[in-house]
Amino acid sequence: MNTLSSQSVITVSDLTKFYGDFKALDAVSFAVEKGWVYGYLGPNGAGKTTTIRTMLGLLKPDQGEVQITGINPTKDPVHALQSVGYAPELPTLQTFFSGEQLMEFTGKMFGLDKLTRKEKINQLIDLVGLKEWGNKKIGKYSKGMVQRLSVALSLINDPLVLIMDEPTIGMDPEATAHFRNLFTNLSKQGKTVFISSHLLDEVQRICTHVGMINRGKMVFDGPITQVLEAFTRKWVVEAELEKVTKRMISGLEKLDYVEDVEVEGNKLRIGLKEKKDLRGEISSEIFKRKGVLLSLNLQKITLEDAYLRALRGGEQK
Amino acid sequence: MSFVRRVAVILGYEWRRALAKKWVLALIVLAIAFQTLILVALAQFIATALEVEFDTIWVVGVLQGQGLFVPLIAIIIAGGSMSEEYERGTADILLSKPITKVEYITGKFLGGFSVLCLVEGITTATGVVLSLGLFGPQSELQIAPVLFLAIAYSSLVFFSLSFMFSEVFRRGTLAMFTAFGIFIASSVVSQILSLLYLSTGEPLYDYISKGLPTWSTTNFAQFIVSQLIGTLQSPLQPISSGDFQLAAAIIAVYAGASIVIATVRLVKSDVSKKAD
Repeated sequence: MNTLSSQSVITVSDLTKFYGDFKALDAVSFAVEKGWVYGYLGPNGAGKTTTIRTMLGLLKPDQGEVQITGINPTKDPVHALQSVGYAPELPTLQTFFSGEQLMEFTGKMFGLDKLTRKEKINQLIDLVGLKEWGNKKIGKYSKGMVQRLSVALSLINDPLVLIMDEPTIGMDPEATAHFRNLFTNLSKQGKTVFISSHLLDEVQRICTHVGMINRGKMVFDGPITQVLEAFTRKWVVEAELEKVTKRMISGLEKLDYVEDVEVEGNKLRIGLKEKKDLRGEISSEIFKRKGVLLSLNLQKITLEDAYLRALRGGEQK
Repeated sequence: MSFVRRVAVILGYEWRRALAKKWVLALIVLAIAFQTLILVALAQFIATALEVEFDTIWVVGVLQGQGLFVPLIAIIIAGGSMSEEYERGTADILLSKPITKVEYITGKFLGGFSVLCLVEGITTATGVVLSLGLFGPQSELQIAPVLFLAIAYSSLVFFSLSFMFSEVFRRGTLAMFTAFGIFIASSVVSQILSLLYLSTGEPLYDYISKGLPTWSTTNFAQFIVSQLIGTLQSPLQPISSGDFQLAAAIIAVYAGASIVIATVRLVKSDVSKKAD
């Protein structure tokens, strides 16, 4: 788990939340540092949105504490949330406003002066591709447009911390890619991005760190490179040969770094004892035994594999 | 940004929210139409039959205009003020901004109440203008601003009750129906108790009747008028005199208690999620 450091922009310590008798969060702790893109993963009902709503001071924790830039948002929302941008999951925005009017109002809530508001509105409306829709009532927007406007609203105060709950839901693939780049660029500018998402591919592409929650408990918190290692028992090399012989199999099984070999037709699944790319060594062994190699692949390790294993309660290796 | 500025931002938001409602606008039009109808009817049919001085008829015009519609508008504006934000999921968006819950509820209350005051201002002005047009020069017009303030103050009772239910129940329809139910029940019970008091002389009936929310709401402005210019003869019903201080105190108690309950409920509890 990440240790809570003085660099932390978001600090969640020992957070516990009950809904009646139901324990929605059970001593959840993690810390997010400046410039990280933190992916917060978990199945439906795991406690992701409860965590986010507690981070924003919308829910009061039964135990534990949240600090945003060192300030508790439940106790001092004015200062804690001044540097926070929040885009909720499938937002319902005020339909009596146009997109620009809502941005104007949101800018006022952050205390931005008139000139800054005007500049920000023009810049952000353009950034999210709503230039022609800015003066139209939000009631006429599609789901994807509302989502895009919600992202623009979250950026109006030039936040240090962006909290996004499923930010690309409802967006078309082009917009999704655009926003992925946007979040990556924001982190490069030193902003901290906290994303709750079901889209593991998206998280794997843009996040530097990952937190996984299941049934209210954190099951993993660390760099994305670590999560793949932590929940992957072994690495596997798949070799397709012209012909598989018993001599070939027994030869490979005797190698120090091979754990086991499974045969499926003319394909070998060679389980490795270490998490290393040993395709070079394996191909040499196959050539030594006069094998004709058709293909050789290191089995791709995806965040999905690690995620599913983590949720099943798999041990971290 | 200061407390006042943050409250002012929410107040402005509440204006937009309330006035975006077509049925609030429809009720305002209905209130003015009803008031016009009464004064036109007075001018056409009653004025000719009665030998009453009509130089202060504008007071009747203004007070009759408040009648049913203004409490109804108050209940509707206040009943949706807090609850709609929960029902639509916009409370999350508003309260995830740098604002305290006290600033938020203050802005909401003042925003809604100022919209109501605008409506009351319009109906007061309509009453005066129509009276001038239909009955000729009017006297005692200098008390019109005081009458407007008295009407606004008396409307605090049902506005605050509905506002409180809006936060406590977090369901707009339930809040409005409850407040309107209390308005109707209080009116009926108050009438019954007044009759019982008149027939039996038992003061308890009078005390209870005065403690009900409709007594102060409907009488405070009349008591202020009679205090300022004496009892008026109205062709519809007399402008009664009474203990305006007691009425003012009862209004303050209802409004104060409602505001405190709503604020405590908001501050002490979680911001509930959008109802699915």
